[in-house]
Amino acid sequence: MLTGIANAGTIEMKVYGLVCSFCAQGIEKTLRKNPATADVVVSLEHKLVAVATREGQDIPDAELTQALTDSGYDVKGITRTQRSLEQIRAELKQEKK
Amino acid sequence: MNLFRIALTAGVLAGASTLAQAKPIAFSHGTTVMAEYGAGTMTEAQVFYAPKYFLSLGGGYLELESDLDHRRREITYARANYLLKRWNMEDAQANVFVWGGAGQAYVSELNEHEFAANAGAQIDYETRRVYASLKTDLQRADAFSHRTDTLQLGIAPYKHDFDSLATWFVLQGRQYTGGIHDGTEWALLLRLFKRGAWIEAGVTDEGKLQAMAMVNF
Repeated sequence: MLTGIANAGTIEMKVYGLVCSFCAQGIEKTLRKNPATADVVVSLEHKLVAVATREGQDIPDAELTQALTDSGYDVKGITRTQRSLEQIRAELKQEKK
Repeated sequence: MNLFRIALTAGVLAGASTLAQAKPIAFSHGTTVMAEYGAGTMTEAQVFYAPKYFLSLGGGYLELESDLDHRRREITYARANYLLKRWNMEDAQANVFVWGGAGQAYVSELNEHEFAANAGAQIDYETRRVYASLKTDLQRADAFSHRTDTLQLGIAPYKHDFDSLATWFVLQGRQYTGGIHDGTEWALLLRLFKRGAWIEAGVTDEGKLQAMAMVNF
């Protein structure tokens, strides 16, 4: 797990308790309020919350963990990846077929 | 057999299974609007705002009408809901909620309004395929005391995801105290939700409509 890297691009979080879209929408709503957030993807199947940050911006791990905790969920891991959210969406869509 | 015993039995049979249940707190800084029509014996509408994920504040209107002697209570209340405990597991979530409030009740047989208090609790367990919940709600005034116990057991034919439609088949058992309804009222429900919109409808064992709609935003 990496922490606090600038210009990370995509942040992927493994989150426990993600079982219902009706409840998990609070996560997306909270993360989109962050000025560094460009886009958000949530996958209940993969217990995944992925955030794309704006050019040259990052969201510290502590801030992400706090946002998820304040939404009522437990963060089990945070990684910075090279996958774009478009790639993640495409992979999730492919899996459903 | 009362609903608590049924719930215990169901939990054991399901091997500590689950429940996808309407919760009195949706998410932090979220507003929940809910309306329920309960087979002619209860009608309820609620609006809550959650400043925190574990607390929501708001109010509602509850009408109870006895299908035995047609006594009616029209209760308007303010209420606070509190998430007492949450367990976030890898593929499941379980919660314990409690709530309490106060308001005013119209008592039809006295043709008077009285101060009324309410309190309740809900336990639920939910995965993406199975859920179970047990809720108890007490409404009390000088002229009456009514407790409504509701058990719900649900199964989903497929696992929904964040942007897809969730479909659940739900068996509901409900008991009222204080002469509202005699025995357990059973209902089979179809529940559909997608993101912040939720609707469910079905029929009771007496062929009456049971329905609920809810929106989170």
